[in-house]
Amino acid sequence: MSLNIFAHPTKVAVSEPAAPVELPLSQRFSERENSQALIILAGISRVYDQGAVSVRALDEVNLTVKRGEFLAIVGPSGSGKSTLMNILGCLDRPTEGSYLLDGQLVEELNDDGLAAIRSRAIGFVFQSYNLLPRTSALVNVETPLMYQGVGKKERAARARQALAQLGLSDRLGHEPSALSGGQQQRVGIARALVTEPAIILADEPTGNLDSHSGAEVIQIFRELHARGRTIILITHDADVAAAADRTIHIRDGRLSEASSAASAGGTMV
Amino acid sequence: MKPLDLLGLALSRLGTGKLRTALTMLGIIIGVASVVALVSVAEGATAGVSARLQALGTNLITVSPGFTITGATRGAGGSATTLTLADASALTDLANVSNIAPEINTSKLIMVNDKLTGAQNETTRIIGTTPGYLNVFAYSLWAGAFLNQTEIDNNARVAVIGATTADNLGLNAASLNSTIYIAGLPFNLIGITQPKGGSTAADDQVLIPISTARELLVNTSSISTIGISASSSEAIAAVSGEITATLEQRHNITNGVDDFTITTQAQLLGTASSVSDVLTLLLAGIASISLLVGGIGIMNIMLVSVRERTREIGIRKAIGARARDILFQFLLEALILSFLGGLIGIGMGVLVSFGIGIYAGWGFIFNPLTVLVAVSFSMVIGIIFGVWPASQAARLDPVVALRYE
Repeated sequence: MSLNIFAHPTKVAVSEPAAPVELPLSQRFSERENSQALIILAGISRVYDQGAVSVRALDEVNLTVKRGEFLAIVGPSGSGKSTLMNILGCLDRPTEGSYLLDGQLVEELNDDGLAAIRSRAIGFVFQSYNLLPRTSALVNVETPLMYQGVGKKERAARARQALAQLGLSDRLGHEPSALSGGQQQRVGIARALVTEPAIILADEPTGNLDSHSGAEVIQIFRELHARGRTIILITHDADVAAAADRTIHIRDGRLSEASSAASAGGTMV
Repeated sequence: MKPLDLLGLALSRLGTGKLRTALTMLGIIIGVASVVALVSVAEGATAGVSARLQALGTNLITVSPGFTITGATRGAGGSATTLTLADASALTDLANVSNIAPEINTSKLIMVNDKLTGAQNETTRIIGTTPGYLNVFAYSLWAGAFLNQTEIDNNARVAVIGATTADNLGLNAASLNSTIYIAGLPFNLIGITQPKGGSTAADDQVLIPISTARELLVNTSSISTIGISASSSEAIAAVSGEITATLEQRHNITNGVDDFTITTQAQLLGTASSVSDVLTLLLAGIASISLLVGGIGIMNIMLVSVRERTREIGIRKAIGARARDILFQFLLEALILSFLGGLIGIGMGVLVSFGIGIYAGWGFIFNPLTVLVAVSFSMVIGIIFGVWPASQAARLDPVVALRYE
């Protein structure tokens, strides 16, 4: 069931002001913000229990990403950016807090629901490409559509189109091992795009590429952004992050808006 | 996700690792092949035994005398002398009796000449009987003629000898109408029977008219056994009942303790088939163990495969695969492995059983039921041993799986 809490705001009991009632998400943000927001993270923490010690990888993170934004999240290794990526990508669940993605409260979903929202709303681009081995570029790009139940003909057509957009029309039958790193990453981007997801999540997409291919990939993201795609780029590299409209720094599991890029209109909550 | 896509996914994976696929299937192939071959061997052996039992006679019922009780000692079965020729002729009139052959058995020296010369003599079984014998005990003539009623009526000194006896005495078709000597008395050789096979004992005998035997060789009014041929195999039970009733009446038996024993071919066949059922079960059981081992082989490879493909599973989950998509993908792989292995195993099992059938001489026996059971069993094995690895794959945490190197 897809619960749209914005269409049906929950009433809050005001008769007992003493009780520490946590406000529903719908009332934490203004109507204007809600209508534009694609992602709202509210008080997200992720705690890993490692025996006696518990590690707080994310600590009370609040973040709003608007539709059409190109956001870079920058941080050194161990800062919690991978954990944030996993939670944004619905691969992992927060220990505390509320996550609203494209009108859906993620914490209400079971495992199948998470799989469904990953399938429908999220396109991943990975540092190590993560293409299916011994599988042609075309089939790699078709696979997300297959899990959506799209028919064979339609998904082949859409996959061809996505690969053509990335200039890979002559590489349809090539397996990943026969492609260069830059080409593999472009196949990866085609795979992320083919489902027309609400958001593209790129985790160090240039990390394994030479500077030329890396620049190419960044250029692709800029073009996608220009055509209205919402992109979240996670990187440790400030130069890569510079391509984004808005940059957020993460350190020790806490976010801080970069003053230089604050003009893009993103809102820290 | 569509079922056909799942099938394609499983098939393409098996196609990319052909050697591994073949080796994984080998266990199931051997298991199914041995089930099919061993069951076929057991059935062939059963058919062979049945054929030999059938050769003993045509819907045969044998009546033997009971035992004697001397003081407090009970004699062996057949020791009594309670069956008479009159009993035999009374049984001739029963419904559904097609032929009857009373026998008087003894053992005498046979000679080809009237003196003991060289190898042309033998001590063997002499059976005094009637023309019905040929049909009752499923013999056929190789040369000459069989005993006829006139010869019985006239106590004629004629003899029909078995194939082995003919061999032993050096007699052949050219020897017909020559004289042979039984216990020193001259008999005219009128026929030689076809060899029956099975045991040579059945072919090493001399048949003479029962009247002649009583007159010249065995001075008794009792007879050894009565062989009766029922008109059909279904009638055997009914005829046995009538024989019992008739003989009890003739022997004035009212307490149910009969002085005769009735053995039917059905009883023999029943015993033989229960023996062969045990044999079949035993062989199938042994073969099933190899099938089980084959299943464990599949599980082993699938577990390795899940481990190797952890990252792939993570990728699939990240791009939208549900746990059950992963589960079915791996389960289907195991199922296809065991199904294909089962099919190949059937082919090999049929070949092997064909070879054994030719070698053992019972021909080729193909039982579709065995094949069906073997394939279903191998697929059940595929499911049982595929479920665990597949659920391991389905339960993988995508975050952990994506990090897996």
